[in-house]
Amino acid sequence: MPDSQRRVHNRLAVLRAERGLSRRQLADKLAINYQTIGYIERGDYNPSLELALTIAELFRLPIEAIFSLKPMTPLSEEIFRDPPAATS
Amino acid sequence: MNTTLGREIEYLPQSRRRLLVGVALAGYPVAVAVLAGLKHTSLNRWLILALFLLLLMPTLATLIVGYRYARGRIDGRRARLDERDLALRQEAYALSHRVLTVILIAATAITEIYLTSGNTLQLDANTFWPAAIWVIVYLPALPSLMLAWIETDQPADA
Repeated sequence: MPDSQRRVHNRLAVLRAERGLSRRQLADKLAINYQTIGYIERGDYNPSLELALTIAELFRLPIEAIFSLKPMTPLSEEIFRDPPAATS
Repeated sequence: MNTTLGREIEYLPQSRRRLLVGVALAGYPVAVAVLAGLKHTSLNRWLILALFLLLLMPTLATLIVGYRYARGRIDGRRARLDERDLALRQEAYALSHRVLTVILIAATAITEIYLTSGNTLQLDANTFWPAAIWVIVYLPALPSLMLAWIETDQPADA
């Protein structure tokens, strides 16, 4: 990744593990090379908008749940940080 | 080339790849310079030739490794080139152009300084062939070498 490029953080490794997918299996579903998955997970490559949207579609999650410009916190932390408002 | 060796080349760490690229780029000019220096000595011509070929071996070996590393990606022959491969290829070609520009400007400047210092340059087989071989060998190999130079270490399989 060029130095001038801003790093895009992601939860790809966690989501992939959660769904029990290997890099190769995920890569096959996305029609890309399996090494590219590793580079994205490591933050060495920022996917194109098209690929990011395809990944979001595959995991059935909004794109911001997978990719962010800020370092990502664990999903559980985000869920418990803002408890739902009590219903009357 | 067997698949085990091919896989080893594919997974070469970036530091080692950069070392190989350095050897590939410097090896031939060094061999030619040594050959030019030895030509004026009383050493046996066959011994000089053997020494030249010996010095050329690391260059050839590293050029082959560089080509093997980038094969299919730099020439676009791999069945599936994804967006990262294409971006990397573009970056490798752009870097090749920059490197070539620097080398050509440096060579022109050195020649200019040499000639303006009162020296003469005779264009014969002895001066033409090393330059011609450099162009024939390095021009096609440069993008592969640059790809091997820029790509970061491959993530471990998971």
